This record gives sequence, structure tokens and C-alpha cells, in this order.
Amino acid sequence: MSNPRSGRLGSAAADLRAFGAAGMKEWRLLRRYPSLMFGFLFWPIVLPVAYVLQARGYAGDSTAALDAFAARTGTSQVAGFLFLGWAAYMWISMILWGPGTALRTEQVRGSLEALFMTPVSRLVILFGPLVSQVAWAVWMFAIVGTVLVVFFGVAIAPLEALRALGVIVVAVPALYGLGALFAAVVLRFGEVHALVQGVRGVFTVFCGMSFPIVLLPGWAHAVALALPPTYLIGDLRSVLLGSSALVGVLPDLAILLGLGAAISVLAVIAFLRTERYARRGGSLASY
Amino acid sequence: MSGHPMEPVGRTGRRASGPTRGPAIEAVGLVKEFERGRRTIWQRIRGEADQRERFRAVDGVDLRVERGEIFGMLGPNGAGKTTTMRMLATLLEPTAGSARVLGIDVVAEPREVRRRMGAVLSDGRSVYWKLTARENLEYFAALYHVPAAESRARVTRALETVRLTDRADDYVERFSTGMRQRLVLARALLPDPEILLLDEPTVGLDPQSARDLRERVVELRGEGRTVLLTTHYMEEADQLCDRIAIVDHGRVVALDTPTGLKRTIAATEVVRLELSGGEPESAVLDRLARGGSIAHSARENGALNVTIHCRSARDFVPAAFDAARATGATINHVEVVPVTLEDVFLSLTGRALRE
Amino acid sequence: MPGRSALKAEARAALAIARKELRIAVRYPLNAVNEVLQPLYQFLLPSLLLGATFLVGGRAIGLEASAGTSDLAGFLFLGMIVGGLVGTAFWEIAFSFKREMDAGTLEPAWLTPTSPETLVIGRAISGLVISGAASLVLLGIGLFVFGASFSPGIWLALPALLLAAASMIGIGYLVASMVLLLREPSFFVDATNFLFAIVSGVMFPVVVLPVAVRWVAYLLPTTYALDLLRVHALGTRPLLSPALEWILLVLLALGTLLLGRWVFGRTEHRMRVKGTLGQH
Repeated sequence: MSNPRSGRLGSAAADLRAFGAAGMKEWRLLRRYPSLMFGFLFWPIVLPVAYVLQARGYAGDSTAALDAFAARTGTSQVAGFLFLGWAAYMWISMILWGPGTALRTEQVRGSLEALFMTPVSRLVILFGPLVSQVAWAVWMFAIVGTVLVVFFGVAIAPLEALRALGVIVVAVPALYGLGALFAAVVLRFGEVHALVQGVRGVFTVFCGMSFPIVLLPGWAHAVALALPPTYLIGDLRSVLLGSSALVGVLPDLAILLGLGAAISVLAVIAFLRTERYARRGGSLASY
Repeated sequence: MSGHPMEPVGRTGRRASGPTRGPAIEAVGLVKEFERGRRTIWQRIRGEADQRERFRAVDGVDLRVERGEIFGMLGPNGAGKTTTMRMLATLLEPTAGSARVLGIDVVAEPREVRRRMGAVLSDGRSVYWKLTARENLEYFAALYHVPAAESRARVTRALETVRLTDRADDYVERFSTGMRQRLVLARALLPDPEILLLDEPTVGLDPQSARDLRERVVELRGEGRTVLLTTHYMEEADQLCDRIAIVDHGRVVALDTPTGLKRTIAATEVVRLELSGGEPESAVLDRLARGGSIAHSARENGALNVTIHCRSARDFVPAAFDAARATGATINHVEVVPVTLEDVFLSLTGRALRE
Repeated sequence: MPGRSALKAEARAALAIARKELRIAVRYPLNAVNEVLQPLYQFLLPSLLLGATFLVGGRAIGLEASAGTSDLAGFLFLGMIVGGLVGTAFWEIAFSFKREMDAGTLEPAWLTPTSPETLVIGRAISGLVISGAASLVLLGIGLFVFGASFSPGIWLALPALLLAAASMIGIGYLVASMVLLLREPSFFVDATNFLFAIVSGVMFPVVVLPVAVRWVAYLLPTTYALDLLRVHALGTRPLLSPALEWILLVLLALGTLLLGRWVFGRTEHRMRVKGTLGQH
């Protein structure tokens, strides 16, 4: 008989391995379906470009319109402003789609039940698919940065890039917490598509992907301040386009970390509740 | 002209049989070749020679299924049964050969064939989960071109046939696998088909549901329909089918009634022995072969497993013990069973069905 | 040639497909609500708010310079209607084949005597019903909430919308063919849908496109349908002469329908040869 303590350690190690395996599975899926790879090259460029073109339409040949934009956003770099907003949007999208869809697919195929029958921790099931997404976030911001520098003449100094990286790292717990929370909700309600769209929509409208949040009415502004992406986008713009130091955005970063902790706890609770609900109602394998 | 006989379709037409009516299904030299792997766009652009490996999933199948019989294709996975079914169901075009269903060519007039045929194939075992059983069938009735006036009655009858009337208005998401499979069978009955193709109809079902489905199939023959089914369960083939084609490596290796097939082995019983010791192995087998024919022998975990076909186990078993003793071997286990289709398959191909 | 009764049977099959799609749509209520909300929060609000960032004294003077109207909301809401049509072709008509393939319900449909083309038409009917209903609701929102105002001449552009719908069935055939051939078509559908919509001018006036891309826009029926819609409803500057746009729209609608049907037929045959029909 092994003692309970070594058993617990052994199970933690096994969980860690399972965590790695979950990430690896996602990575293999990405490699097997090259179209997903194209997506990671296509969207970070094409989506912001569409909005840059839209901005061009809005500006026409009017310098007054461009001045109005600069006054409201604090920068005259329209492309930089939009690219950063949409890069954050796409990162969030990936986080929402990835784990939610992965779990939902397993649910539809019936393999989720099998997964639940294995002794791995529920946390592995919930957070595992997120692991492989870290690399893609780095990749996407790299593409966006490159496009901005090469095609739109936005100057990004190495120090600014490092600051941006700092902002991104701080945002990780909050965003991945959101991803996990979302996955739990997906399992409960079973409609990934509508839910992803809905949540993305909320972020698009409130977090200022394509506009400065000062344009929002008071109540919407308050909602914006409760959502982690608002800080991510605002701070990325500050450090990359407004040359703010990290110290300048420190209060924001503290809020981001706090939100991250709270959301992660909420995600775990929601997931465990969903599982219990599913076990009672038998909907774990339901379509 | 299509060349298909001007025969009445529907219940009355099906029951009337006359000398002018041809077989339900007739396939001659049916071949299907597939390519393995993919040819990349780059290879196409450069005009490189197609180097993909070709393999024959079906390699010259001849079949003649008579009207009103349950005809089975028995064979291991990958034998070409499903590919043959898909060609007959018009989902797949043959590379060579021809096939006619009720006299209609499956390549020249696929829609005419589909109009008269119901099929449950391996990839199409699904229905819409967010629709009720009845809604599912009403939908497919329209796709089968069932006239509007008849649709309701046809759906009701199909539901009755598969015993789902009491669950007709429940969402399919609440159905068990067996019930869903029955609903899929009901769907295949919507065109009131003279012919039904069932590809591995009981795969994945629990024994009760499988038995239930087999009963339905027998009833369908009772209604005068022709059923062509594939299976790799020999008991199922034995129990259900009037005639069986044993298929292996894309060819029909034998075709007869179950009894006829079993008669091809000059034996009425099969003895399975497990021996240990006894050297050399050939000496043991030589001695055993004097009492019957050795169908199969293999070493497993040091023990020698031998399958022998014989006329009478009562005579053979004592002789086998003598043979063992004479060669220094010990018989650890003896099993006597009647001849099954599995043995027929084994004697024809040298392999077990499930290998 | 198919007889009248055969055509009637096909029409009934098409309606049954549409009814089935609509039934399933309402049984996923969140998805149905989303149909209206999604264009609003995914496209209209971010676009409107970006537009608001450029307002000078409350007027969209930049847009006026590039498109000939300062009605930002009107401009975008009309774009969204055509965007909805494009989305119908790509997602409701074409991509639904992938959904059915995954669910295992496509093969049973291929096994019926219903023509494969009818499978497309049925989905087109339900897709157009859904996108039409969503567009009406959204137009109402545009008029009453966002202050868009359209001239009564908008009705004159209704045939343009119908022609665009017809051409979208053609595009639906084409994209459905790709969906059937590709193993993982989501990205293809998503990307081409987006490009098709933005190049048609859904988000911005076509004149802001780089010249090479603008030539692609001139090949899309939706470019002319949307342009005519905006010309009649908002008095925008037309891309070409309206008469020429009407002619091009009719030709392109016919062309896409014929080409789409032909490609779809070839694709189906190819799949029957390769054995991938209904499989996933």
C-alpha cells in the first residue's frame, strides 16, 4: 500500500502530465488542420486592415476628421490604434473559441464522458486546452507588430515592445480565467457559437477595440471598466503608441491581476457545478 | 431508353412475381479502385506523374440477389462489403463492371434507383436530434418524394413497423442508441422500398436491441421486400440470411445458403484442442490429421491450438488422445462445437473473421 | 427534362429542407436571437463608434467626402443587409453541408431521389428567410434607434436585393462545393465570407480600396447591389453609372447561378467517384 501523501504527490505529477498531454493534443490538432494555421496568419492582418480601410473612408480627404480622431484617442496613428485593439480582440476570441469548442466537441462526440471517467483533475480538463494557446498569442502579437512596423510605419522601440509584453503577461490570468469560465458555461448550455458571439460582442462594444471608451455613455463606461480586455487594450495603446512607462499603467495592471484571480476562482466553481448538474441530468454526453 | 422493365412499384407490384421479373440486384464484375494518399497542389501544378498507390477495395464482385430474400454479405472489416453497398446505393461510382437494381443501372439512372431503394449505410446512421421522430421522418418523406397526401400515413406506418409510435413526438436527443437505429430503419422504409440495403445494421447495439432489429428485418422480408445486408457477425448472417456471399479482399469467395456453405466443409463438427509438449509439432499434427482435417493451428503462449474439422467428435476425440500420447503431447483442453460460418470462412481464407 | 410532377416533388423537398432548418433554428433560441444581435454588436456598433471618433461637429464630413453621404448609420445599416446576404450564402447555404456531414445527416439525404441541387435551394430558402427577417429588424433598429433615414427611393433598389439574393444562391453552390471538398472548411468559409463582404463595400465605400482590389469588387454582384441600394436610399455617389450597374448586376447574377450549378454538379460527381460523398 502506498501512503496517502505519496499518492497525492503521484496524482499531482500525473495531473501535470495530463495537462501537458491536453496541450499537446491541441497542438497536434493545429498541425493536422493547416487551415487553422492560415487563420492565425490571415486574421491578425486582414481584420484590422478592414477597419483601417473603414477609417480611411471615415476620414475621406478631411484633415479635420483626422484631427478629431487624434483628439479623441490621443494618437494620430490610426492603424496602430486599430491593430492593437483587434489584436487583443483576436487573442480573446481564440481563448473563448479554443477551450469551449474543444470541450463541446468532446461532449458531442461522447469522448467527454470518457475524459470524466479518467482520474485526472477537473482543472486539467478545464485549463489544459489553454496551454497551447499561449504560443499563438505571442505569434499573433508578433505578426501585428511586424505589420505595423513594416507596412504602416509605426515605430516600436525594443523597450516599448518589452513593456507591451509585460502588459500581455499580466493579462494572462484574467483572460485565461475568462476562457475557462466560458468553457464551463458552454458545457452547461451547449451552444458554443451563440455564446462566443455574444461574449465577443460584449467585449467589442464595451472594451474599445475600434474606438476610445471615452465615447461610451456613462453606464457603458462603467461596464467597460469591469472587463479585463479594456485594460489590456488601453494599456497596450498607452505603452506602444503613447510611450507610457509601465509605472504609468500600474494601477490598471493591479486591477487586471485582481480580476484574473476572481475570474479563475469563478471558473472553477462554475465548472464543478456544471459537472454536478450534468451528472444529475445526464447531459454530459448530450448534444 | 433506360432498359429497365416497366414494372409496377409499391406493395402490389412487389408481391406479384412472374417469370419476366429479373433479380432484385445484379452486379457483374464490380470493381472499385481507390487512391491512397493525396496529390498536393504543388505536384499538380508541376504536372508531376501521379504516384499515388492504387488499391482495389472491390475486385470483381458478381452478385445476384433474388426478390424477396434476405441476402447477406459476410466478411471481415475491410473486405469490401461497405464499398459494394455504397456502389449499389449510388453513392459511389464503380471503376469497372456494372450493377443493376430492379433492372435499373446504378450509374446511368442513380435517382431512379434511389427512388425505389431504402438504405442504412455506415456513415448515415444519424437523424436530427432537435427534431422529433415524426418530424425527422416527415422531412425525409419529402426528400423521398412521397406525395403530400400520403406522407402522414407513410410516416405513421414506418413508425409502427419499427415500434416507435409511442415515442413519435419526442425529440430524438432523448432516444437510446437502439431507438435511434430503429428510427433510421424507419427512414429507409419511407419510400416503401422494394429493396433495403443495410450496412452492418446491428453494430454498436446492445444484444436486446440487436435482436429486436433482426426481428424487424425478418418481418420486412415477410412483407415481400428484398434485404441486402452486410455483417461481420456470423451468427447474425446465419440466423437472418437466406443466402450469403462470403467476401474477402474485395472478392466473393463463396455464395450459398448458410446450410450449403457449412456443407462445403466435409465435417459436421469442429474440435478445438489445446496441447502442450510433443515434439516435433509436425508429428503431432500428422497424427491428428488422420482423424479429420486440420483447419488451423497456431502456437500461443507455448501451447499449440489446433482446430480440426471432423465427421464425428465422438470418434475423433479418443483418437486425438491416442495421437497425443503417441507423440508425447498432453491435451489440456478440448472443445467440440457444431460447424459455423466462421469455420467456413476459416477454411476458405485461412483466417478468422475477426482477425 | 423533368416533368411537372417531378418539379413539384423537388419543390416540396426544398420547402421541407427550409422548414427543417427553420425548426432547428428556433429550437436553438440563443442562435436565433443572435442572428439579429450579432451583426449589431460585431459589426455595426464598432463601426459606428469608429465613425463617431471621426465626427467633426457631429457630422461625418469625411464619409461625405468619400461616399457622398453623411448618414453614417444609414450607410452602415445598408451595408449590413448585404453583408447578411453574403453570410447566408457562405454559412447558411454552404457551411450547413459541413454541419450535416459532421452530424451524419448528409448521407441519408444523398440517398434520396431529391436532386443535390435542391439541397442547396432548400437551405437558400431558409437562409434568406432568416436573413430577411433579421435585416428587417435591424433596419427598424437603424431607423428608430440610430437615426438612419432613407429616401423613399429605397424601394427602387429592391430588385437589386433580389438579384443579389439570386447571385448568392450561385455563390452558395460554389462555396458548398469547396465545403464538400475541403476536409476542414471553416477557415476557408470564414475568410472568403469576410473578404467577399468587405470588398463588396459593406464596411466602407469601395473607392477606398487599393486599385487592384477594387477590380475584384467590380466582379462581385453584391458590390452593385449595395451601391444601387445606397444610391437610391441615401443619394450616395454611384460607383459606375446606375444603368450600367443594373446590367452588370443582372449578368453577374445569372453568371454566378450558372457557374455555381455547374461546379456543384461536377463536385458531386467527383465525390461519387472518389467515394467521399456523405463521409467525413
